[in-house]
Amino acid sequence: MTKQEESGTYGLMAEFDDPNAVVAAARRVYEAGYRRINAYSPYPIEELSAAIGYHKDLVSLTVFACGILGAIGGFALQYWTSAIDYPLNVGGRPLLSLPSFIPIIFECTVLLASFGAFLGMLGMNRLPEPYHPVFNVPSFARASQDRFFVCIKADDPKFNEAETHAFLQSLGAREVSHVQS
Amino acid sequence: MPQLFHRSTNTLARLSIVLGILLAGGVLWLLLQANRTPFVTQAFIAREQPVQFSHKHHVGDDGIDCRYCHTTVETTASAGMPATKTCMNCHSQLFANSPYLEIVRESWRSGQPIKWTKVHDLPDFAYFNHSIHVNKGVGCSTCHGRVDLMPLMWNVASLQMEWCLECHRNPEKFIRPKDKITEMEWPPTESNSAEFPNGWNQAVDGPKLVKEYKLQPTSVLTSCSTCHR
Amino acid sequence: MAAEIEKNEHIDTRPPVIGPGHNFASLTQKIVDIVLMRGFKKGWIFGFAIVFLGALMLFNTIAYLVLKGVGIWGNNIPVGWAFDIINFVWWIGIGHAGTLISAILLLLRQSWRNSINRFAEAMTLFAVACAGLFPALHTGRPWVDYWLFPYPNTMGMWPNFRSPLMWDVFAVSTYATVSLLFWFMGLIPDFATLRDKAKNKVQKSIYGMLAMGWRGDARHWHRYESAYLLLAGLSTPLVLSVHTIVSFDFSVGIIPGWHATIFPPYFVAGAIYAGFAMVLTLAIPVRKFYNIEDFITLRHIRNMCKVMLATGLIVGYGYLMELFMSWYSGNTYEMFMMKNRIFGPYGFMYWLLILCNVLVPQLLWVKKYRDNLLVVFIVSMFINVGMWLERFVIIVMSLNRDFSPASWRMYYPTIFDFTMFFGTIGFFLTCMFLFIRFVPMIPIFEMKTLLPEAKVDEKKVEQLAEGRGPLGATPLPQFGD
Repeated sequence: MTKQEESGTYGLMAEFDDPNAVVAAARRVYEAGYRRINAYSPYPIEELSAAIGYHKDLVSLTVFACGILGAIGGFALQYWTSAIDYPLNVGGRPLLSLPSFIPIIFECTVLLASFGAFLGMLGMNRLPEPYHPVFNVPSFARASQDRFFVCIKADDPKFNEAETHAFLQSLGAREVSHVQS
Repeated sequence: MPQLFHRSTNTLARLSIVLGILLAGGVLWLLLQANRTPFVTQAFIAREQPVQFSHKHHVGDDGIDCRYCHTTVETTASAGMPATKTCMNCHSQLFANSPYLEIVRESWRSGQPIKWTKVHDLPDFAYFNHSIHVNKGVGCSTCHGRVDLMPLMWNVASLQMEWCLECHRNPEKFIRPKDKITEMEWPPTESNSAEFPNGWNQAVDGPKLVKEYKLQPTSVLTSCSTCHR
Repeated sequence: MAAEIEKNEHIDTRPPVIGPGHNFASLTQKIVDIVLMRGFKKGWIFGFAIVFLGALMLFNTIAYLVLKGVGIWGNNIPVGWAFDIINFVWWIGIGHAGTLISAILLLLRQSWRNSINRFAEAMTLFAVACAGLFPALHTGRPWVDYWLFPYPNTMGMWPNFRSPLMWDVFAVSTYATVSLLFWFMGLIPDFATLRDKAKNKVQKSIYGMLAMGWRGDARHWHRYESAYLLLAGLSTPLVLSVHTIVSFDFSVGIIPGWHATIFPPYFVAGAIYAGFAMVLTLAIPVRKFYNIEDFITLRHIRNMCKVMLATGLIVGYGYLMELFMSWYSGNTYEMFMMKNRIFGPYGFMYWLLILCNVLVPQLLWVKKYRDNLLVVFIVSMFINVGMWLERFVIIVMSLNRDFSPASWRMYYPTIFDFTMFFGTIGFFLTCMFLFIRFVPMIPIFEMKTLLPEAKVDEKKVEQLAEGRGPLGATPLPQFGD
């Protein structure tokens, strides 16, 4: 049981209806010293993730690793099958016919790297996650349409239900709602 | 917005992905294995024959050499099925009135061959020649198993291509002296090892025989057109 | 807001990529309504019924083909490849435009791609599915097609990786998989929108499951953007490789008319050419029927016409080079092949090809025609036909009169060749109908980024963050001031 679940509070959620406002609010929340924070938007906003202190993800590294793995795997597959496991003379070509292995090495690289990108993105985002406390907020349905949200989680050391509520309110949120865990 | 899904669906969703992958992998693995089972290959399944002919009795108990019946094994592609006359060589005297042998006698009288059920049936696209195998030191029991212990005949091998390749890739692991071709118990155990005072060591003696019998190199033995002509 | 956009457009005389008067909510509503509110309209049902009949024709032909064998087709020695491979190459080429639009134009930061990319990607997927059918069935024993993949089989055998046909298996299956991933990944945030917008429980649950709990988390978006961009970066060489490898199927062979180094670029350009033609063929009626002229604007049509014109010229250059090379090679067989191609028994097909692929598209040089939807539609139809003819010319005409006149033979397609070909068109359109009905055909979240108010303005953010008044209460500065 996490601290959030014990208290029954996941955090506090402030709603905004403008990307500038949400970025500004997120920056002020961060400046105020809150760290266990999150922001939500209907489309990707680079400034928003930066505002909550998230700058670098590991997706590209994963993709690179998977791509290398795919290249090595593609080569190993072809080399092992055609030169080691069953060395067959096909039209007098050498067993290790590197030029003719290139297309499949390339395809395997792309295939594995793409799986790396897709599954890596899902995995690091911890998706699928059909249940999430933020969905408890009634107005959160518009996070996928035209509203922007900033959430301060209850497990933030600075979190204090009343104070944080007032703080978020002071940022000019349309509405500040309590997020049930 | 109320929650659409229960809290447990998170675990469920992730679990179903893992299980889905495992299941797909498992099914594929099962299918691969199933292809190698006797259910598909018919190995180890005794075939009914028109006459209850027992190799166990004739080879094991009586000690008749393989080539007494399968006469052409050393010279032609087919090992040859014995004519009814071969049976009658003995059975005109022995068990001459046995009801089990009525079909044999009937065949003898009418001149119609007995319709045996073929047990070792290779597909027609594979070219197979008994004589070359027998003359290069591949013994009967290497492929056909302990025929002297089989009341009714069955396959001991899958007869799948990967099984052929086992030997074509590494003949030294299976080769034996030509004079021991029809030996049922091979490699020699204590009871019949008298001729090998130093014992028979496949790892040492196999490669020697491969050289001595001038076997084709593996690249030829595993070339497509060696078997698929 | 609309006024500002129009004002802005005065500097840029091109038509806008998104019609005036839209904001986040209206845009979401409009796209979502096509899926959630529109229901099954008579027009949709009628159209679906017709194309589904086509799909049924395909399924029946396939059933008969499997029962009877490939002998029901017209191809026979020496024309061993005919409609099957023609259709394969044609379909796979059509698929290329989808990846080009979604990946290459994304990398080139062409924002006009945002409204047509989902649509084009779906087209890619279905076209690849149709394409894949042909090589899978032309093997003669489609039930053992899994032999094409390397797996530890009872024969102890492995595929021959030195063969272009194996490369093709890998290229096409990788292409299909990556296109699916790319398409589905683009859909995840939109499924979330549908989930939140849907009214009834069943729709909510289905879209909810597909959205996998997407909630627009800023960190998620960050990783999502990285992954999406990388997928685009991976798809770009992939899409070029696929038709290159398809062209290897021919150019690695020694048949005159196939054995040419120009094939890879010539095929790739042809693929993009055919693909854009198909996108236009589909997009022009769809934008009309669904009133989405404000999302697929004249700007899109014009740009696609320009891409078609450019790739069409490359293809025309390819035809010219084939002529030149056959003469320049000094090879009797090459020269004969070209003579046979132009003046032989199928010569009229060659001339038709020149008409469809080289002459008619030159109309697009004229701005007036690029803006005339009817003309664009007709030209794109010509190109669709022309690209099919191109494959016919390359495949059948190189085979029907080969090195030895004794084996010359004419090729005539049978009724099953035609039911199969038109059947795949029916199947393709069936998939498109279902796609348009159940999936947002325009990427909602990507369209939002095109709205002027979507851009974060640092100046305003700073103003707001410094605490000059409560954030939400400030009347927001308008775009352009």
